[in-house]
Amino acid sequence: MFEIVIGLEVHVQLNTKTKIFCSCPTSFAHEQNTNTCPTCLALPGALPVLNIEAVRKAMSFGYAVNATVNQRSIFNRKSYFYPDSPKAYQISQFDVPIVEHGELFLDLEDDTTKRVGITRAHLEADAGKSIHEGAISKVDLNRADTPLLEIVSDPDMRSADEAVLYLKKLHSIVRYLDISDANMQEGSFRCDVNVSIRPKGQQEFGTRVEIKNINSFKFVKAAIQYEVQRQIEAYEDGYYEQEVYQETRLWDVAKGVTKSMRGKEDSADYRYFPDPDLRPVLVTDEMMEEAKKIPELPDAKVARYVDKLGIKHYDAVVICAQKEMAYYFEAMLESNIAPKTAVTWLTSELLGRLNKAGHDITESPVDAKTLGTLVSKIEDNTISGKGAKDVLDYMMESDSRDIDAIIDELGLAQVSDDSAILAIIDDVIARNQDKVAEYKSGKDKLFGFFVGQTMKASKGSANPAKVNELLKERLG
Amino acid sequence: MHIDLTVLEKLEKLSHLRIAESKREEVIRQLSEIVSYVENLSELDTTHLDASFSTLEGGTPMREDIPVSDTTAAPSILSHAPMSMDGFFVVPAIIE
Repeated sequence: MFEIVIGLEVHVQLNTKTKIFCSCPTSFAHEQNTNTCPTCLALPGALPVLNIEAVRKAMSFGYAVNATVNQRSIFNRKSYFYPDSPKAYQISQFDVPIVEHGELFLDLEDDTTKRVGITRAHLEADAGKSIHEGAISKVDLNRADTPLLEIVSDPDMRSADEAVLYLKKLHSIVRYLDISDANMQEGSFRCDVNVSIRPKGQQEFGTRVEIKNINSFKFVKAAIQYEVQRQIEAYEDGYYEQEVYQETRLWDVAKGVTKSMRGKEDSADYRYFPDPDLRPVLVTDEMMEEAKKIPELPDAKVARYVDKLGIKHYDAVVICAQKEMAYYFEAMLESNIAPKTAVTWLTSELLGRLNKAGHDITESPVDAKTLGTLVSKIEDNTISGKGAKDVLDYMMESDSRDIDAIIDELGLAQVSDDSAILAIIDDVIARNQDKVAEYKSGKDKLFGFFVGQTMKASKGSANPAKVNELLKERLG
Repeated sequence: MHIDLTVLEKLEKLSHLRIAESKREEVIRQLSEIVSYVENLSELDTTHLDASFSTLEGGTPMREDIPVSDTTAAPSILSHAPMSMDGFFVVPAIIE
């Protein structure tokens, strides 16, 4: 019946050492208003000087999403009054942003991808923070003028799930580029959602409603679902014009609803104009070349894992979604183990245990080199897969990383020595003459019985492949 | 641009200023004069110029990303603020 149209605006706090227009540190300050100076406090006469690193980071993002990076862009003033913005305007890019016309690709469930356009990405200054306490509000300007990159998508998403996929992909790219900590809870990756509906087949877009500052992927999905339902109901009940108008709404976490932020009459009027304190941003050819040097990004990594390492597309997407996971995986491969085996040990064995313990890959008690070494012990037949799981369990609980010592301690060394295994096999055969006779008379299924008995007699230490091979030999 | 009471009310809202009833006529007259004076600029043909045009040569200077801490500024500025407390600027409650 209805088509949902979603566009996203994401504010990424760039991880520069200093603010965008002054040399104040952006690092965490223990006391309020200590990372401030006349420029970010907007004292008369103090002039902004642009941080070149913020420009570099914005440009590398541009190249990461196949965008146009403008060699000439400008800063505008966006006027509004709010106590956490001492200038009474925000310095932002309006007419000509540094980055425009980009794209990124969503990894859909059926292994296909969907292209989402990136309208623009522009540099701007963050506001400070206010704490509301009854009749007063307390203002801390430590965050004021921290560099932000606002990334605006085309209205290309058609469901809440696609919106979340877009955010996750964007988050991943920003983390790979190391241009932001991109921590949603801490506010270094903030998301505004534009949502509208239209009857299927209608060309014109419906009226778009903006939902501001949603701080988790889960809430993005919930907020969109709620808002879409609200708009559809208004449409079906014949109140679309009255109920749905261009406005800003807030997501109420406690109630699970979106709420109007300001009345219809008070729509914002920002009166953008070029900032006379800042000349155009001119980027040199050298800066352009330098900014093109970006690390391998998730899409390229997935393609390489599938083509060169023979990994399943789904697994590759899971591993590459998080930079730390991909780097962990690549470090495991340095132990010269089969990539497919490494995938299993990373995504099932390690992640399974980490999930249970409530850890992220970055907090894994077992590092990639150790896990890689452990897997190599299966591949060279020192231990069985079962034994390796025991070693991993052991390491999750202890500080010891001497794998050989742990194997000894747990008595997991696998017996691959022919004579040792043959001795066990001969004993099993001697004790089960009746079964041997049945097997020889054609009851092939009994082979499994002999394997089981041999493994049991070896207390699981015999190399199963060897057991199979030698049993076949002995039973003829 | 024609300035009337409606426009004046909008301007009051945007500027957080309140014009006394007795001065409204006068302010409207003055604003109209200012705006018509500035409208002279419209005679300039800017159709061939792009939005990033500047009459100044060269780009904005840029600086390297090296932090400088000056802990003396804030206390002095806070001491001049109309109201401050525990290192915070204090303002009347902001109502959304």
